[in-house]
Amino acid sequence: MLSYLLFSITIGGVYALLALALNLAWGSAGLVNLGLAGFFGIGAYATALATGAGLPVALGLGIAMLAGVLAGLMVTGMTLRLRDDYLAIVTLGFGEVVRLVALNERWLTNGADGLSGIAAPGKAALGTAGFNWAWCIGVSLVVLLVALLLRRLDAGPFGRALRAVREDQELAAFAGKPVLRLKLQAFALSAAIAALAGALYAHYQSYISPDHFQPLITIYIFLAVTAGGLGRPLGAVLGAYAVVAFLEGTRFLAAEVPGIEPVQVAALREALVGLSLLLVLHLRPRGVLPERIPAAPKVSA
Amino acid sequence: MIDFLSGLAQRSLARRSLLGTALALPLLPAAARAQQSGPIRIAALSPLSGAGGAYGPSMVKAIRAVVEEANAAGGILGRKVELVVEDDQTNPEAAVRAMRKLIDVDKVSAVAGVWASSVAAAIAPLCWESGTMLLTCAGADALTNLPHQGFLARTQPNTTLQGRKFGEFALAQGAKRVFMLSPQTPFVQSQFENIAAAVKAQGGEAELLVYDDKKPSYRSELQQALRFRPDAIVLGGYLPDTTVLVKDMLRAGFNGTRIAFAYSVNQKLIESVPADTVEGIFTIAPSPAEGSPAFKHMTEQAGTPTPDPYSTQSYDQANLALLAMQAAGTASGTAIRDTLRKISQAPGGTVVSTVTEGLAALKEGKALNYEGASGPCDFTEKGDIADCQFRYEQVKAGKLTLLRIA
Repeated sequence: MLSYLLFSITIGGVYALLALALNLAWGSAGLVNLGLAGFFGIGAYATALATGAGLPVALGLGIAMLAGVLAGLMVTGMTLRLRDDYLAIVTLGFGEVVRLVALNERWLTNGADGLSGIAAPGKAALGTAGFNWAWCIGVSLVVLLVALLLRRLDAGPFGRALRAVREDQELAAFAGKPVLRLKLQAFALSAAIAALAGALYAHYQSYISPDHFQPLITIYIFLAVTAGGLGRPLGAVLGAYAVVAFLEGTRFLAAEVPGIEPVQVAALREALVGLSLLLVLHLRPRGVLPERIPAAPKVSA
Repeated sequence: MIDFLSGLAQRSLARRSLLGTALALPLLPAAARAQQSGPIRIAALSPLSGAGGAYGPSMVKAIRAVVEEANAAGGILGRKVELVVEDDQTNPEAAVRAMRKLIDVDKVSAVAGVWASSVAAAIAPLCWESGTMLLTCAGADALTNLPHQGFLARTQPNTTLQGRKFGEFALAQGAKRVFMLSPQTPFVQSQFENIAAAVKAQGGEAELLVYDDKKPSYRSELQQALRFRPDAIVLGGYLPDTTVLVKDMLRAGFNGTRIAFAYSVNQKLIESVPADTVEGIFTIAPSPAEGSPAFKHMTEQAGTPTPDPYSTQSYDQANLALLAMQAAGTASGTAIRDTLRKISQAPGGTVVSTVTEGLAALKEGKALNYEGASGPCDFTEKGDIADCQFRYEQVKAGKLTLLRIA
């Protein structure tokens, strides 16, 4: 039971990093990124290939984030004139492109067979139990660090400028904010965090395949950010852990319902996910921890 | 390390040395401890939603039928057997979370009914690290090449064997130039290589084209295929893309031999397209051992008159896991790994086809040779199925007609 809890907390941490990434792009800058799974995949494949070629894991994580930044800049560069639904559709397409490239470029990614035996640092030295503990603590610390960093950015001038872009980009440009640069920075940083999540996942699981990066995970993260509170880093983290707790908890709950077949249990779990999103949106439309907008300072006479 | 430790746990328990157990247990990781009291748990991790959702429910039903039969026959090692079912959502990320729960919370000794290759590859490391036996219907060649230490076995023939059968069949139809059209799948490459090897050995030629499986038309792909002047075209796709492809083939005027997987050109496809589009297509599939005692027994137990290959395989997997634990005298994944081949293919062993027969024979101290509903169920050292029958059919007047099983 303990190792299952540690595992769930670690996966919750990976989801939390993805939620932080999405919250930065979507919540702060208003850039809807439905291609989150693509950036997650880019990070995972980048570090798997780099460490597979003999580089140390720390460097692999760095390369993964760099690959995320480059992909983020590329996507923003291609979608400069797109906002809202149009941006969402293009990013969704980008996510699928990443998955299809991973599926078809067999020379690089080993195709549908996936990459197995990715370096899992600490597994040999610490044993299975020690590995679970170390990763649970390590990933949680990374989440804490990234969340604090983003909270600080969020509260600072950078965060305020991003919000100005989100609310009205013409007005922000008129007020002298460098809209293009802000968008590029926000999207690239968001992509780097998502890629870091992918890299950590790859090393933790030591196996990845194109099937891992189906849009399913993007949907879970959107659920996490919406439920936790769009526009607030701590809300995104809370939402991500809540989603994992919910996904895992419903296994035990749905199994207790008497007189239903396993296939109905599976359907019930999916229905509960949708129902809970509806309930959250109905009861707390702005999430559990809503965005805080500080009042404008009073101008002294 | 885990092998050594669980071996230690078994030996000390076998000697019933309380002291030894008391000393050894606190040192073990929780998952390595075999279940030694209470019910024996096995798991079904099958696709109940997602792309494989059409197959999972009947696979789970087949496994449940075996567990119920075993309990009716007095249980395994005198203990009740419990089945824990989880949905893999046909997604490796979700499957890993489900598998961790099965290993850490339910402490299952075996997991059966694993369908997708990507899911099997994702959960395989968890299984061999925790000493849980993984029994799967996944066909990708790479699976049994993983360092699984024997904790993985599959009842589905790998694609090397399937590819060879396709190639040999094309040759038997008099084809010298064989073209394969397939979407990107885990098995396309090795499938094609083995077709090509079989055809080239007889002086023929083979070529492959990988297409995108979501296109509304395949005219350009077919033009490329026809430039090769093929005598036979092998269709490697799934149902939706093959439906489009057979229509475009008729339009393109190809009248050579067409060979497809039985899971794509099935009754559903035949009924959904005009009759002349599919007339004459050959289909090949690993065949369940229809008419065998196990197959008959399974159809009665699971209540499905025409089970698909995956549910017959799941049925056999559950039988093998339970009988292996009974034969080993211990309920653990390691015990199943070590005794699997002693009950599936013991030379000169008593042939059994149900868990009830198997338990009775084991009580008399006999060696076993399990012959299942999906086939003889004999495994190689690597965990592949040693041999399997194939079923050859042809579409005649809008109906699949059996040519032969061989």
